[in-house]
Amino acid sequence: MTGRQRADRLAGLAFVAPAALTLAALALYPGLWVLWLSLQQRIPIFGIARFVGLDHYAFLATDPRFWNAARVTVVFTGVSVALELVLGLAVALALERQRRGRRLALSLLLLAWALPSVVTAKLFEWLYHPSAGLVNLLLGRPLNWLGDPALALPGLIAADVWRTMPFVALLCFARLVTIPPEVYEAARVDGAGRWATLAWITLPLLRSILLVALLFRTLDALRAFDLMYVLTGGGPANTTETLTVYAYRSLFQTLQLGFGSAIGVVIFALVMAVAAGYLRALRREGLAA
Amino acid sequence: MRARVRAWDVAMLLLLAAWATPFFWQVRTSFTPDGELLATSRVLPARPTLIHYRAVVERSVMPRALGNSLAVASITTLVALAIGLPAAYGIARLPVPGKGLLLLAVVASTAFPQITTVSPLYLLMRALGLRDTWTALVLANTSFALPLLIWLLAGFIREIPIEVEEAAFLDGAGRLGTLRRVVLPLVAPGVASAALLTFLASWNEFLFAYTFTATEASRTVPVALALFPGVFEVPWGDIAAASILASLPPIIIVVGLQRWLVRGLVAGAMKE
Amino acid sequence: MRWAALIVAAALVLGGCAERRDSAGPVTLVFKHAKILGPSDPLPGLLREFERRHPGVTVRSEPLTWTSDEQHQFYVINLEGASPTFDVLMLDVIWVPEFAQAGWLLDLSPWVTREELAPHFPAAVAAATWGGRVWGLPWNMNVGVVYYRADLLAKYGLAAPRTWEELAAQAQRIRAGERDGRLDGVLWQGKQYEGLVCNVLEHFWGEGTVLLGDDGRVLPHVDRAEEALTFMRGLIERGVSPGWVTAGDEELTRRPFGDGRAVFLRSWPYALDLFEAADSPVRGRVGIAALPGHAGAAVGAGTTGGFHLAVNRRTRYQEAAVELVRYLAGEPAERALTAAGVALYPTRMALYHEPEIVRLRPHMPRFHDLMLAARPRPVTPYYLMLSTTVQPEFSAALVAVKTPRQALEHARHRLEYMLGGIR
Repeated sequence: MTGRQRADRLAGLAFVAPAALTLAALALYPGLWVLWLSLQQRIPIFGIARFVGLDHYAFLATDPRFWNAARVTVVFTGVSVALELVLGLAVALALERQRRGRRLALSLLLLAWALPSVVTAKLFEWLYHPSAGLVNLLLGRPLNWLGDPALALPGLIAADVWRTMPFVALLCFARLVTIPPEVYEAARVDGAGRWATLAWITLPLLRSILLVALLFRTLDALRAFDLMYVLTGGGPANTTETLTVYAYRSLFQTLQLGFGSAIGVVIFALVMAVAAGYLRALRREGLAA
Repeated sequence: MRARVRAWDVAMLLLLAAWATPFFWQVRTSFTPDGELLATSRVLPARPTLIHYRAVVERSVMPRALGNSLAVASITTLVALAIGLPAAYGIARLPVPGKGLLLLAVVASTAFPQITTVSPLYLLMRALGLRDTWTALVLANTSFALPLLIWLLAGFIREIPIEVEEAAFLDGAGRLGTLRRVVLPLVAPGVASAALLTFLASWNEFLFAYTFTATEASRTVPVALALFPGVFEVPWGDIAAASILASLPPIIIVVGLQRWLVRGLVAGAMKE
Repeated sequence: MRWAALIVAAALVLGGCAERRDSAGPVTLVFKHAKILGPSDPLPGLLREFERRHPGVTVRSEPLTWTSDEQHQFYVINLEGASPTFDVLMLDVIWVPEFAQAGWLLDLSPWVTREELAPHFPAAVAAATWGGRVWGLPWNMNVGVVYYRADLLAKYGLAAPRTWEELAAQAQRIRAGERDGRLDGVLWQGKQYEGLVCNVLEHFWGEGTVLLGDDGRVLPHVDRAEEALTFMRGLIERGVSPGWVTAGDEELTRRPFGDGRAVFLRSWPYALDLFEAADSPVRGRVGIAALPGHAGAAVGAGTTGGFHLAVNRRTRYQEAAVELVRYLAGEPAERALTAAGVALYPTRMALYHEPEIVRLRPHMPRFHDLMLAARPRPVTPYYLMLSTTVQPEFSAALVAVKTPRQALEHARHRLEYMLGGIR
């Protein structure tokens, strides 16, 4: 190794070391610690710390509330992401055809995305008010959005789609504007109509960015917490209790750090599995590093 | 042709304004007096008032929370930049031993669910006696801000042609010198974008802030809003005013600093 | 890393211990309490009087946040730390065993005699005791009661109901007779929060069963518990109670009754002061009844509630803090609070029959009898865990997402797991 190479290696280590140490302390170490916690019955305020092995996981496997939370999470994620993708794509396509006022358009669009999720929750809580809320005013019916077990989850999903569609729209839009106009020219010359162009030219070119958006949004939806916790608190009779809300309540309402950690580990495994699956798919598309 | 495009432009703007209606409704609510709140069918309030904003600014914890949020978000961004920028450069340009593993760790960290790390972090903060302090929040926010920042910045640095740095070496500048005088100016817009995204993420963060703060001493804006007090009935007008105040930095970033924000968002996705 | 942190923390605590003996210099006590609601706030006056009697001692009053959950979170986070930021605290009765078990409260047994506790309601004293030791002094008392429209019942020649079935029948009869579509039958708190547990427990007791048996068994008679929940759900299905009670808390249910739009209301004593206010539509027309039992089952009882005063174990001024607690729970102070008409009732039984006070609040003797017959929620350090576990199950039964049987089975399954191994 030349002196220069050795200097480079040392420099590399020096540059990277603080970040590596910080990540190890704040992410890696807690990641391992939570595994250890999930194997205990741990109630800090009473000083209870008892090793119970896999008991928590065994309980969760037959716990109706866990499976309800899992179902709510999957439904929330699936419906929310599907709606965001479809709407986001539509908005991006429409936005691409806009010539004047794009900056204003983007401002209006990104507003929903940039707001803190707690603000969004309070916003929709007021919109869904049974007598004074805008939604019921427009519909003309006194629906009990946040109190009716059948309406709470759709209401939550609507709030989430409102908040996240702009992100998908932006990604698609950014990709759309990089498509050279010659591509469309060639299609027109070949006699392709508008819909054919969309289906056979535009969408295939957007495929990669849509997959990336799908990845990001799915992971975010699986991990979502703020919106449901503040808007419904888990909903009427746990109809909007996702895995994250279930974990948080177990951890800090009942102060059972061991049991709550077990749920946290399950969420972690789920998210990692989904991420790994997506990354493999993206790699096959030749997109990932 | 021009006329038709113009109609489309207007239609798009109207459509997007309609999408943003929930927010505008909240703005309207913040200026509506209590009497008109619960029995209304007008678009604009008959007698707009500043009473809610006055209540929030004078009698609530929001001003203190705004200060806390500003401090925590700024410090987090600075700390993450200070640690993350060199790390990003090292990953992008230097032969770091175990780089593959480190990169994997960084990417994995961005996917970490906050709910998973909140329990060990809670015990850690408790053991260090850091509950209800800015330090706790900065540390917790750094745990997700740092990997995100490193990933974004590494991408931006890789965009700079290697020849530019080589030229600097040939001119006799050392590693640090190159970093300071050549790379930094070129990557500055990317740094700005990444910093904006980090600031925004930290400002909006709720789970850690809710768990690690107990009093107004360290409570941030999202937590203060979630815990907004109501004696008997919910003060929708005050909450609306507080919500608008809480949204000011995000709005400023979206409207005023849009270019950098968009760049950061898009780069994060395209650099997959 | 954790061990190092623990050693550092231990050093800090031990270092702090050295300061725990009462210092001779000026003393400032910090008193944490919830805001006192009512026409006037006599508390500052009482605290100044205490300062006059104890020269060298200042008392600083610090209010707590509004909701019970937030107060609990505040206490948990702050009492776990090493340094005491407050000396005297106001506690919901359901927290006393928990805080005592966690070692946060000063054991008052050496300071307080049995004679001193005798004038207070036995239920209140029982709630302040854990493991045979006294951890707080009773301060405010609460009890679940049923309010009814005496004028409406009299109009139909009805006496106050003694069972829930009778109550429901009366409500339906009056509603049919009045032909008022907006008149509800009975309002109660069915929202998913602590208040729901109080309501459900009252029905359990009315069926002759409990949530937690004395032997520690969870839901010892599931059949009777199922009857109770089925009845509550039935009230909504039959229209005796409006559907929105499943989202109703104290205030949401008090207002309609106070506006004259309901025949019965299950609530707490604080509501009566508001019903008897000068501008109340139901002034002079509200009667108080005991919580009914269920037909053919058991006698009903209301849930107890209220607040105690306790001392932070890590206070630096033990003597002064204990004196403050004894002063505030003492007879003159409780009398002053009651006379001021605040929304909390005293724990000293004698005050309920004092002529002065009865003149100000004529219903005191009635409440006294109801409080004597009242029952506490399960007294256990794990009460909060218990409550937050059963709340969603009860709520699910009430909104018909689960059958009552399912809800109870799920509740039992969870509770047995959570409580297993730690009792």
